[in-house]
Amino acid sequence: MVNARLERIRRLAIWVLLAAQLVAFSFLLPNFLTAGNLGNVIVNSAGLAIVAAAMTFVIILGCIDVSVGSMLGVLAWLTGWLTTTQDMPVVAVLGIVVATGALMGSLNGSIVAKGRMTAIIATLGMLFVWRSVLYGLWGGRDLFAPPLVPWLGGMRIGVVPVVGLIALAVFAVLASVAKRRRFGRDIYAVGNDRQAARLNGIPVDRRIIGAFALLGALVGLAAVMQMARVGVVQAFTGRDFELGVIAAVLIGGTSITGGRGSLSGTLGGVLFVAVLQNGIVLSGVPPLWNGVALGAFVLIAVGSDVLLERRSGQEVPA
Amino acid sequence: MEAHDRAEPLLRLRGVSKRFGHTQALTGVDLEVHPGEVVAVLGENGAGKSTLMKVLAGVHQPDAGELTFAGAPYAPHSPADANERGIVMVHQEPTFLPHLTVLQNLFAGRELTGRLGGIRWRAMHGEAVELFARVGLDEALLDRRMGTLSLGEQQLILIARAFHHDAKLLILDEPTSILTATETERLFALVERWLQHGAVLYITHRSRELEQVADRAIVLRDGRRVGALVVEGDIEDDVVRLMSGRDLEVLASVATRSSTVAEEDVALRIRGLAVPGVLDNVSLELRRGEVLGLYGLVGAGRTEIALSLLGELPPSGGDVELMGEPYVPSTMAHAVACGLAYVPEDRKAMGIFPYLSVRENLSAAELGRRSGPLSIIDRAAERRLAQRYIEELGVKTASMDDRITTLSGGSQQKVILARWLATDPKVLILDEPTRGIDVTTKAEIHRLIAGLAEEGLAVLLISSELPELLALSDRVVVLREGRVELELDGDVIEEETVLRAALGSDLVGGTRTASSPASSEPAAEEGTPDEHR
Repeated sequence: MVNARLERIRRLAIWVLLAAQLVAFSFLLPNFLTAGNLGNVIVNSAGLAIVAAAMTFVIILGCIDVSVGSMLGVLAWLTGWLTTTQDMPVVAVLGIVVATGALMGSLNGSIVAKGRMTAIIATLGMLFVWRSVLYGLWGGRDLFAPPLVPWLGGMRIGVVPVVGLIALAVFAVLASVAKRRRFGRDIYAVGNDRQAARLNGIPVDRRIIGAFALLGALVGLAAVMQMARVGVVQAFTGRDFELGVIAAVLIGGTSITGGRGSLSGTLGGVLFVAVLQNGIVLSGVPPLWNGVALGAFVLIAVGSDVLLERRSGQEVPA
Repeated sequence: MEAHDRAEPLLRLRGVSKRFGHTQALTGVDLEVHPGEVVAVLGENGAGKSTLMKVLAGVHQPDAGELTFAGAPYAPHSPADANERGIVMVHQEPTFLPHLTVLQNLFAGRELTGRLGGIRWRAMHGEAVELFARVGLDEALLDRRMGTLSLGEQQLILIARAFHHDAKLLILDEPTSILTATETERLFALVERWLQHGAVLYITHRSRELEQVADRAIVLRDGRRVGALVVEGDIEDDVVRLMSGRDLEVLASVATRSSTVAEEDVALRIRGLAVPGVLDNVSLELRRGEVLGLYGLVGAGRTEIALSLLGELPPSGGDVELMGEPYVPSTMAHAVACGLAYVPEDRKAMGIFPYLSVRENLSAAELGRRSGPLSIIDRAAERRLAQRYIEELGVKTASMDDRITTLSGGSQQKVILARWLATDPKVLILDEPTRGIDVTTKAEIHRLIAGLAEEGLAVLLISSELPELLALSDRVVVLREGRVELELDGDVIEEETVLRAALGSDLVGGTRTASSPASSEPAAEEGTPDEHR
């Protein structure tokens, strides 16, 4: 009873915060509440949203993937290279990039599951590896690609950006997997207790690899979307991308220790982060405050989670 | 007790209350402890024993009540503060610094230092040797890393640490639940020494132990003190009555069940099962409708038999037949599909999913049997399943959507049992199914096990609690050091026979032969793998 209420409060908190933020910015910033601006917010954060959705699974597992930024860079380069030199149709490019992302992700997952390595260490290693690979590929010359199809970039139907709809669809599918499919249930179980999950016949290693592969695939989708929108790959493309993704998931209420969290929370977290960054830009505050605000909210989210758990008077397994 | 002790208790509690959210954990509890006595605190799970002890140990602060310790008001704000005042608690699962040596653990936070802050290892070592001599521990332990010791040794060292800190009151929270018989004896000997300079508060579920160590006992129920008794003679009935609030025939009702076992109906046949260094040529047969008890000291290989059947501990030899078909252990999923079910001994670490609901915990294994990771979960069917087992097993929960950790330990165990019953198993392996569970729920689980066997299920019961094992089992197999030592059949199985076989030449009332170099030989429970946890 205490718990059910606690759970509800936690789930509601992010939406209350988001609403408060929207109201505050609407009053304070004259250019905020316009279809154009809000559309931009969505176009700019669609990639973050898609990757955060899959990252939610990985964090619920009790893992983390800090290499998604470097992966995004490499996959964006791959997208640019395929479109400029290979002259492929968009669908083929999309297929290849997503499949490559899935492979890169399952490599991370395999290191974690089979190599029995802590996820943060394994993926930190891969962060450097992929970044170096990108430096090598980039070779001192920025790669410019002709604009891909507009629907993966800034195109809108009426006032609604297409990429926003794509992100929403990804959330809907993953939320359904989390709640209604065995894969989702297994992810929660593994995050709660790996040993118990194994003793229940859950193929723990396969689930870990699967979740990382899904994340990689969606990083691929985000990379194609980024190229469609920006059209250029530089050495630092995707740098610090992982920080925004992880921050959004944590602010959305998913527990960094695993076992708890939801896709709807992450959606709230993504919107909150995106609106926050937009608000900071519009208000003319120096962008370095971006990081301060983001950091503060991560601390608040994780801190309040710890406090609430402690107050419920229960033993929380470490 | 001498008269002046009575006049001045070491510890006095008056009307101590504590509330967590909506739960009133303690209501107006009174307690007095005099120097040199052992006071047991009894109660079912959730009765408030642990909360009371944590108040004394400075973990929780009481909402109301008056505490005096050694003649002065006592209000510790942290465990360190409580230690400072002379109260030390040794928790159920020992807490320490596993990668440091025993010596470093003994002095952690209180290292002897020289003038420049350098640590005086030699002086500390000398002091520790003296301490170990005093408490009867082997000084060779001092250089071992704490994490490499057995649970029993760890606990003894934590008590020695309390000695060293000159504590006056020692709180032991179910210390023997993880100990073997030999370790328990050593613990009691140490408690005996402790009483020369302090008192002990002792939480336990085991009435036999109570008779062995305690002078007095108080009984808690629902956070209130409902009774006190002097430990004299056979007090088991009184204790059970006070703890549960009703009269109970715990085991008798189970023991009288009719045992009609079809001889031909072998559900599980193990022949020559071997796991290097763990199991050696183990053979046994389990029939449908039978409860086969598996007894042995910790490390004798009981759990390992279960784990190797499940594929968690791959056997190097032997054949297994399951329902007449050859069975090769590979993965847990395969084992479940073949009709094996395993309720693990460590509910917290291997059983429950703490952040998931009762419903999700209950359906976890059953869901696993449906093929395909993307198959849809039929939530209506899941709810029906949960509802059915919650009612059938009497799981006490406000809602099936509450987190499992809101339930008492007994109800959690019922959920785990239900999880496996839901898979419709052919062979059910229960590993310490009633460990750390209150008397009432224990009796319910006993009846449940007996009922399941009656319905034709084959049950392999692993239990360290001999009365329970004997009352429930049709036959008993005793393991020692990975080998089948004895197989017993029949209506009357003597406790002593079983114990003797389990202990081997190790001890048991003077039967040890003078020629066996018992002191140099590690006891059966040490060294052998119990490392799967």
